[in-house]
Amino acid sequence: MALIEASGLTKHYGQVKALEKLDLAVEPGIIGLVGANGAGKSTLLKILLGLLPPTSGRVSVLGMDAVTQARDIRQVVGYMPEHDCLPPDVGATEFVTHMARVSGLSRTAARERTAEVLRHVGLYEERYRQIGGYSTGMKQRVKLAQALVHDPMLLLLDEPTNGLDPTGRDEMLDLIKRTGSDFGISVVMASHLLGEIEQVCGYLLAIDAGHLLQSAPISTFTQRTAVLAVEVEEGADLLAEVLARRGFKTRQDATRVLLALEDEALYDAIRDSVADLGLALVRIQQERGRLEDIFREAAPIAGGVQ
Amino acid sequence: MSDVDRPIAGSPAGNIYDLGYRHYEGKRHGRWYSAWALYVDSLRGIWGFGRPMSAKAAPFILAGLYAFAALIQLAFSSAFSQAVRTEGTTAGLFTYGNYFNRLWIFVLLFCVAQAPEVVCRDQRYRVLTLYFTRALGRVDYALVRLASLASALLIVLLVPMIVLFIGDVLMGADMFVAAADELPKALPAIPADLLVASGMAAISLGLSAYSPRRAYAAIGLLAYFLLMEAVPSIIYSVGAEAGWTWSDKLALTTPITGLDAATNWFFGVPLNPSYPVTLGSDAYVVASVLGVLVFATVLVSRYRRISA
Repeated sequence: MALIEASGLTKHYGQVKALEKLDLAVEPGIIGLVGANGAGKSTLLKILLGLLPPTSGRVSVLGMDAVTQARDIRQVVGYMPEHDCLPPDVGATEFVTHMARVSGLSRTAARERTAEVLRHVGLYEERYRQIGGYSTGMKQRVKLAQALVHDPMLLLLDEPTNGLDPTGRDEMLDLIKRTGSDFGISVVMASHLLGEIEQVCGYLLAIDAGHLLQSAPISTFTQRTAVLAVEVEEGADLLAEVLARRGFKTRQDATRVLLALEDEALYDAIRDSVADLGLALVRIQQERGRLEDIFREAAPIAGGVQ
Repeated sequence: MSDVDRPIAGSPAGNIYDLGYRHYEGKRHGRWYSAWALYVDSLRGIWGFGRPMSAKAAPFILAGLYAFAALIQLAFSSAFSQAVRTEGTTAGLFTYGNYFNRLWIFVLLFCVAQAPEVVCRDQRYRVLTLYFTRALGRVDYALVRLASLASALLIVLLVPMIVLFIGDVLMGADMFVAAADELPKALPAIPADLLVASGMAAISLGLSAYSPRRAYAAIGLLAYFLLMEAVPSIIYSVGAEAGWTWSDKLALTTPITGLDAATNWFFGVPLNPSYPVTLGSDAYVVASVLGVLVFATVLVSRYRRISA
């Protein structure tokens, strides 16, 4: 069953065209939804939740129509909004338990799931304290917890790393990755940072000014530019020269030689060259091409994706 | 020490008990259960349960003040003769029928203090989004919030009624006879207070829902209730002098007086002579029920349009 299917999905706010004839077919997994601010990411998420009716076109989530079966969709979807959405005067446990009950869990189940989910997102002793006194990172964790507490089949995350410091950002991304891979919950994560998408997601949806720009597995981007980095203690220039003479595309980067991985024979060539030159090999590492580089050449995005 | 006891490097101590993520296989209840969960939480919130101590102060103090007079009367009830107690009103004592009329200010303050709490918080902190992305609908949300405030007000209104009832029963020569005598007089308090609670709750939430800021909502409420008491009575007084035939109908729009007059119908007592004599208490009942419907519609229409 397709996770999300849309055909001719259009949303206009008066004169503003937020989404224009979007056609989508996305399989379960961790999906990155990328686009500049105002590209229509939040609008798309809200339509998927049935919060906004599309102007025209059809869209279904988990095989259910987003317009007529919105209530059924919301039962099995968790949503983490971009903005603050937590009351300050209750504790995380109290609030998440309440949200679990509103999601239809019985009192006991709500308590158990809350305790489990808060532990998963990494909230411990502080969960009884009032949310008003939490740091941004802790609030983001509570927001994720309330989206996960009813064990959804799909998680919609709108800019989940908003306002986080680099450590908090990495922890949040790691958490999202675990949710997708270990918990078996599909995730759609909207972000304007390509680097984050690259770190976490297996599939990429790029929209710009309401149009679909890209819809493909991330690996199709990264495979095309697979790069092998060979690090040697010294003599990188020699190695680069020898390999270039053998007919490989090389580029030298300090003590590393970067090679385009187009042919399996490259590995043998590296081994032979290093042995012949008597160099001290530190490591051979396959590097994924930077997604944003490919992105820029494939389709320049107006407004500048960072 | 065996190898097993040693914590594994790099794994936080908290993970010892981590069983991994477990899926929820149990029953998922639907819309009505969601509504019930919100109702319970809302009612708890109004009384400050699950919130800091300071949140309990206003509701409990105001409810306590409203019931205080009944408690005083209970404490001194042994001093009154049977004759004085049956005279009730004329002797300056509280009865089921005149209690709200004299002490409504505390009920109004309860609304002013707690109604904004019920609806402003979710707007200001944008919690609404989380509700609307669950099985609960917008209309469900509005009506559940209304029901919770009406229930809280019903508790406030009925506590002194119960105290009065206890006082009267305890003072009877035979408690069972006294209870049997008193019950028919006390029971109309239930529908009467239900109407008052619904009316005050509908007006309070209908107005508060239009401001995400608590303070503005509270001021707005106070202004509405007090001005809507005063203005129609001015016009009515002028109209009575000038001989206008329509001006007495304006009395039906006064929120507190109107609800109080409607309770007279349930108790079967004559209207307060200060109210327009041309109208019967049944007119006030009809007007009050209409008022509840109008303000409930105002509340619902706010949540139909509000962006989540």
